[in-house]
Amino acid sequence: MIKIENLYVSVEEKEILKGISLEVKPGELHVIMGRNGSGKSTLANVLAGKDKYKVTNGSIKFNGENLLDMLPENRARAGLFLSFQYPVAIPGVNNMYFLKAAVNAVRKSRGEEEIDAVDFLSMIREKLKMVDLDESFIHRPVNDGFSGGEKKRNEILQMVTLEPKLSILDETDSGLDIDALKIVAKGVNDFRSPDRSFILITHYQRILNYMKPDFVHILMNGKIVKSGTMELAKEVEKKGYSWIEEEVAEAA
Amino acid sequence: MSISNYKAEFEKMLNRDYFSKSLHLYRKEAFAQLEKTGFPTRKWEDWRFTNVSIISDGEYKISEISDAPQTTPNIDSYQMEGVDTVVIYNGHYQKELSSVPDGVALLSGLEHFERKNGKFDTANNSPFDLLNTAFTDSGMCIVVEKDTQVEIPIRILFISNGVRSIMVNPRIYIDVAESSSLTFMEHHVGDAESFFQNESVFISLENNAQLNHIRIQSNSEFTQNMANINVNQDADSQYHFWQLVDGGKLGRSNICVQLNGENAQCYINILALSKNNQHIDNNIIVNHNSPQTHSSQFVKSILFDTSTGVFNGRTVVHKNAQKITAHQTNKNLLLSKKAKMNSNPQLEIYADDVKCSHGSTTGKIDEDALFYLQSRGINKQDAMELMVIGFANEVLDKIPHPEIKKAIHTEFTVKLNRLMA
Repeated sequence: MIKIENLYVSVEEKEILKGISLEVKPGELHVIMGRNGSGKSTLANVLAGKDKYKVTNGSIKFNGENLLDMLPENRARAGLFLSFQYPVAIPGVNNMYFLKAAVNAVRKSRGEEEIDAVDFLSMIREKLKMVDLDESFIHRPVNDGFSGGEKKRNEILQMVTLEPKLSILDETDSGLDIDALKIVAKGVNDFRSPDRSFILITHYQRILNYMKPDFVHILMNGKIVKSGTMELAKEVEKKGYSWIEEEVAEAA
Repeated sequence: MSISNYKAEFEKMLNRDYFSKSLHLYRKEAFAQLEKTGFPTRKWEDWRFTNVSIISDGEYKISEISDAPQTTPNIDSYQMEGVDTVVIYNGHYQKELSSVPDGVALLSGLEHFERKNGKFDTANNSPFDLLNTAFTDSGMCIVVEKDTQVEIPIRILFISNGVRSIMVNPRIYIDVAESSSLTFMEHHVGDAESFFQNESVFISLENNAQLNHIRIQSNSEFTQNMANINVNQDADSQYHFWQLVDGGKLGRSNICVQLNGENAQCYINILALSKNNQHIDNNIIVNHNSPQTHSSQFVKSILFDTSTGVFNGRTVVHKNAQKITAHQTNKNLLLSKKAKMNSNPQLEIYADDVKCSHGSTTGKIDEDALFYLQSRGINKQDAMELMVIGFANEVLDKIPHPEIKKAIHTEFTVKLNRLMA
């Protein structure tokens, strides 16, 4: 699905990612954990194509294509989705209008016909159920005046509507109460399938009580310093990160 | 300041036999006062950002019979569903094209003057009020009697056409009597190559009256436009003003609202869309003269190219006007590095128990929002259009009449897409 090799990324001359390699295969769910400032969100934004990040070395192949050569909109059309840590409010733009524009942009790029308003509405009604939102939600302006939980659920709504191949969830679990967290986790779990992959970036082990990751990676100072399975996440939850730091220091 | 051109035109006008002599006294008085004050310069506080020398130095001529259409003009492209239209072409009333809805009396300026027993409302907030009083040509008075709900909106379609530099001074009176309601639209269109319109509107709302006033200024980019809007509101009256300005080389609206009776409410919503070297100025004064009165000003500008804009909003809360609410919001979107906006929201409060707020923001397209939309598969161009339409939607959504709203929304979207293509 995606293969990141030896990726180096700078922001305003400051090196944030220092040689990341990661391969995610179809159907897999990878978790990337790490402290604030370790480079988690940078990785997410680079994958989605935000332009203030400068890739100084390395490569990213997305289903065989060179991801770094693609515009953000083309990455989305090719099946990559980022659930934003801080979804942006767009006052005056109706959520449904936006979703329809997004769906049609993706369809158009595949040479499919645009979806009409009636079909779209019946489709979106199904999707709303998956994230436990009522219909009034799609008639509000995008993320404008939404609560934190609503914003995150709106991200998941977009995910299940756009049906990407690879979903990157950037701290989608942060700041959610337990009910919203369960809804988000359920939305993701219901969406899992053998041909869809996920990269879940998180601060906390909590969401992993509701999900079953295949791999867990620890990001520290711009590098993946340790990889493992669910057990690794549990260990971090219990003991924090310092023991890994010590390991890294010893190895160096 | 050269007022000599206007003086010559004024003499010409006084000699017109089809203008009533009964108004001459007012005209002369106003013109004498204008000669004293002169046209505003940028040294005047309220005119710092708007240069009117193109008007004061202009050689505009009063509209002659020969400027009226020789045959019935074609207004097909300005048709609008669900409204009754009154047509004024280069200052000349086109009776055969006009109709008015039930419940509305349309009077000539003179009939209105007689109805008011020779009382002629004037304003002198700016020299352009005086100019209008001196030169009033096309007078239209819309009168709604007590307890009358006018269902169908009335639209005055102002068409400015031709190559000659002409000046028209329409004067509109709108009297809505107690517990009555009306939707009034003024629609300024045309392809004039040189034109100066100095319009004055006098609105009087009696107790519990409601007026929706929609003003669309979409005339050619070679026109100079002054709109002097004076509103007097009695108790419990509601005034909803909604304006779109996207035409004219120079467009200045002087809006002055007096909230005289308790619980009088006024809502001013304006959208300005400018391109090339257009200049659009919205100058608003709302006076809270009575307790429990409410006002809001919501003004947005979208500026392309080297266009410029001004928002000058002043809300004055007088001493006895307790428990009022007043809000001012001005938001501006600059779509070019060379576009420029001057924003000046002001509150003057002399009462002590009031709820007031004001705010102003001016900025470019939000890059984070742009990326957000792109990350959903929408290309950059479409994403920009979506965001600009979204920015405008917050004002467009406030158009106080569903059918007119739909028509304006559609037309605006087409215009914007053309500009952004």
